[in-house]
Amino acid sequence: MTATDLSLPVPAVAAPGNHGTSARRVRSRAWRLLGYAALVLAAAGLLLPFLWMVVASLKTNNDVFTIPITWLPDPVVWRNYVDIWQRSDMTTWLWNTLLLSVIVTFLQVFTGSFAAYGFARVRFPGRNLLFLAYVGTIAVPWQSYMIPQFILMSKLHLSNTLWSIVAIQAFGAIGVFLMKQFYETIPEELSEAARVDGLSEYGIYRRIILPLSRPALASLALLTFTTTWNDYLGPLVYLRSPELRTIQLGLNTFISQYNAEYALIMTGSVLSVLPVAVIFLLGQRYFIEGVASTGLKG
Amino acid sequence: MKRTILATVSAATALTLVLAGCGGEDEPADPNAPVTISLAGWSLSSTPEFKALADGFKATHPNVTVELKEYAPGNDYDTQMITDLAAGTAPDVYVMKNLKNFYTYQSGGQLLDVSDVTSGLGSVPALASYQVDGKAYAVPYRQDSWVLFYNKDLFAKAKVAPPDGSWTWDDYTDATKRLHTGLKGAGSNATGAYQHTFQSTVQGFALAQTPNADLLAGDFGYLKPYYERSLDLQTAGAQPTFGTAKTNKLTYQAQFGKQQSAMLLMGTWYVATLLNQRQSGDADKFQWGIAPAPQFDKSTTGTSATPVTFGDPTGLGINPKISKSKTAAAKAFLQYAAGPEAGKALAGIGITPAQVTDAATATLFGLDGVPQDDLSKFAYAKHTIRPENPVSKHTAGLQNLLNETHSAILSDSKGLDAELSKAQDRAKNEVLNQ
Amino acid sequence: MATLPRTRPRNRRLVSRNTVAGWSFILPNFLGFAALTLLPVVVLFYVAFTNWNVFGVAEWTGTANFRRMWDDSSFWTALRNTVYYAVFHIPLTLAAALGLALLLNRKLRGVRFFRTIAFFPYITSIVAIAVVWNQLFSPEYGPINALLGAVGVDSPPGWTASATWSMPAVIIVGTWRYMGYYMLLFLAGLQTIPAQLYEAAETDGASPWQRFVHVTLPGLRTTTFFVTVLLTIESFKVFDLILVMTGGGPGQSTLVLSQYIYQKGFEENQFGYASAVSIVLFGICFGITVIQFMVNKRRNS
Repeated sequence: MTATDLSLPVPAVAAPGNHGTSARRVRSRAWRLLGYAALVLAAAGLLLPFLWMVVASLKTNNDVFTIPITWLPDPVVWRNYVDIWQRSDMTTWLWNTLLLSVIVTFLQVFTGSFAAYGFARVRFPGRNLLFLAYVGTIAVPWQSYMIPQFILMSKLHLSNTLWSIVAIQAFGAIGVFLMKQFYETIPEELSEAARVDGLSEYGIYRRIILPLSRPALASLALLTFTTTWNDYLGPLVYLRSPELRTIQLGLNTFISQYNAEYALIMTGSVLSVLPVAVIFLLGQRYFIEGVASTGLKG
Repeated sequence: MKRTILATVSAATALTLVLAGCGGEDEPADPNAPVTISLAGWSLSSTPEFKALADGFKATHPNVTVELKEYAPGNDYDTQMITDLAAGTAPDVYVMKNLKNFYTYQSGGQLLDVSDVTSGLGSVPALASYQVDGKAYAVPYRQDSWVLFYNKDLFAKAKVAPPDGSWTWDDYTDATKRLHTGLKGAGSNATGAYQHTFQSTVQGFALAQTPNADLLAGDFGYLKPYYERSLDLQTAGAQPTFGTAKTNKLTYQAQFGKQQSAMLLMGTWYVATLLNQRQSGDADKFQWGIAPAPQFDKSTTGTSATPVTFGDPTGLGINPKISKSKTAAAKAFLQYAAGPEAGKALAGIGITPAQVTDAATATLFGLDGVPQDDLSKFAYAKHTIRPENPVSKHTAGLQNLLNETHSAILSDSKGLDAELSKAQDRAKNEVLNQ
Repeated sequence: MATLPRTRPRNRRLVSRNTVAGWSFILPNFLGFAALTLLPVVVLFYVAFTNWNVFGVAEWTGTANFRRMWDDSSFWTALRNTVYYAVFHIPLTLAAALGLALLLNRKLRGVRFFRTIAFFPYITSIVAIAVVWNQLFSPEYGPINALLGAVGVDSPPGWTASATWSMPAVIIVGTWRYMGYYMLLFLAGLQTIPAQLYEAAETDGASPWQRFVHVTLPGLRTTTFFVTVLLTIESFKVFDLILVMTGGGPGQSTLVLSQYIYQKGFEENQFGYASAVSIVLFGICFGITVIQFMVNKRRNS
């Protein structure tokens, strides 16, 4: 493996411009402060709806929508955070959603990156056509083929099981597409050198390509996880039993035909965002350190 | 290659289209053997009517268990039901939320002929809505109608005479404006009325009350005076504008329940909601009442006449894929649900049953927090109810385009006449020609 | 990628070996994809030529659905609105996502925190987003118009309550919501650009702008291509955001194709016609994608 190590590109660890003379440092500190100010301002704009969710979760149902918008709940209804656990199966919903998101993410990342290698690095007849079919299906709106798909799944006795969600989400084309694009940025010479060393295609995939694609794998994993976590239409169509509900589906049960418990819905939404935020915070280390550390291991 | 594609296509079609129909196995029939029938409902914990029906039926038919299957609330109910019916996995008995959907299910062959049930039911007014070519395909179990809810305290505060059952729409418009001025003078921020964003709040009344109005004729001139009054109230500031109601996602429960508006036109289902919210503290406790909806002209006003209003019945139908051994039990359940016994049980939880008998009215007005004045009882029990959605192939398409017209008119895009004539063009070229 | 000469006989064995290897990589994903996505999509293509009401057997009607579409003014309105949305949403989101990725691809204190924040619009409940933005846009009571009034705008726009301004409002919210998603992809792409390239450029005295144009942009080409394709398709398919923001209104001012498909299918029970409209939507997305692929290929070679 030494041959391959030498030709590895040293990746960008940070954007340039962090080191220089002291005059430049002063200027760069001013810029940095300005940058922070801009970031804080932008962050406020990005977080506003989330803040509203938190505020709404502390109101009574009929105080949630008002003219004009009120940013301070009066009275503060902390009870919502107790009620939601007592009046709903939040634990079941969260558990189901977590289970689904993890399985789907694993399968999508694994099969997607595996298939992408076939598309990016192995030449065989019909490859481009097949790839076009993959990309093409992204362009078909799901709500237009979900009924044929649902009938099919019912025949397979998969509807109303958690497997149905796994089945429809895990083999999506986006993962294949994303990983293929990423693989194409990895220099072909790396694989060539490995072939000379006698590595099989599977070996190249596992020992060279996979470690190098950590940032892409991480972003695919995060995006898949979030999409599965927040999916509403899929679970709506496929799941019926209360014990199978996901968080988005479950929260919707607080709407009855004539009355909607918006405060509780927002309480649940706040709770449902937190796990994703934590996972996102943790998953990010792969964007900076990912490539840098694997480059040496090979 | 071509043959392979063809084979795949036909296999796929066969799989999805033809195999869709299965089930319906024969079992020996014994009238007293234990039977379980499944019933579709939604938001079971906050919508007690399904449990009330199931329990009430069990009392007289101990061998039959009605098992509730929970579906999603709102329009999602129909999305789930359509997919389940298409795949053959739907429950034995299911609900038709309004007549628009009844047509979808009936014309799709997803409802069993239940004429023998309805023949034993007598005179339930909404039965006729579910008849196609002389056969009945569903029975109603609840029949809401639109009435005027008003806040007696706010009327007193504004020193405006409360409704007395004699109001035409002009009287209503006038009262709303006087309430607005009066309330402002008394230092209150409440508006005279709140008109919710539903298209029904204008179109439902216009269709039901205007002589010779016909949704399916594609001539929407009957809507004009009703919209003129809405726009008038909106411009005068006597009710929140459509844009404000939409962008601030105002709920009618909060507008009326938190005394933001003195009057609210809404369906009778709101009675149960208001009672619950007074209990839970989501709504204020104030004096309120129900009055008949304002009328097209004087001929139907006053407590000696019968006011005209609108409302779709909510119905129950049987899935044709039900196994034969369960059909009798399912029909018995439908008979019960549309009858007087179920009516009393439903009224007991604040719901307006299909047949508003004296017993049902007495039960509902016996609930804690319901107004006791005679006008409220009159408004609740006496009226002619016309359906909002006449059963037809074109209804869904027309209602969709009228819904778009509703938001266009009230957000004052191009003017009333232009929008109405555009709606008529679209009705002619996009819906009625299909 | 090395090009292999095609006709030489000794390569035939290589081709078949590659075919086996290629398929063995693709198969695990393809099995699920073919059964659960491709097959239903093929059925959809069939249904588009029928008048299927979901329940019965679909009756073949040839091109009737497509001829009907030609005369259907609502379809054209929906198409026009979809293009309107896409034409603005794609460049705006692309620029915002790239800008965010560049801004947050450095070793700043708390950068992880800011990245998480940038991703928040994508994970926040869509109902909450619709509520807050609608209230911000509220013509009479919203802070946006209050601000516009304060800086001297006489008749501020009606935003989601007006037929003229509802689409711009939706585009703003769409960009705001999705830029974090695409930022993440750009961040991954930025990690593939070798640091030596920047160092070399800096030694040559290149300005930050020159470094951006000559190092960053070329290095991001495959990522940009992927993001553009995905963003194009997602923009043309936009559905839930508009549904909760405006419901397609006022009037038909924000009615887009995906919503029209849902309306015709699930509300009016005309799945044949809805499928035909989906085929058109698919055709548009696919056509643009193929063009993007071709342009990308030419640029690469």
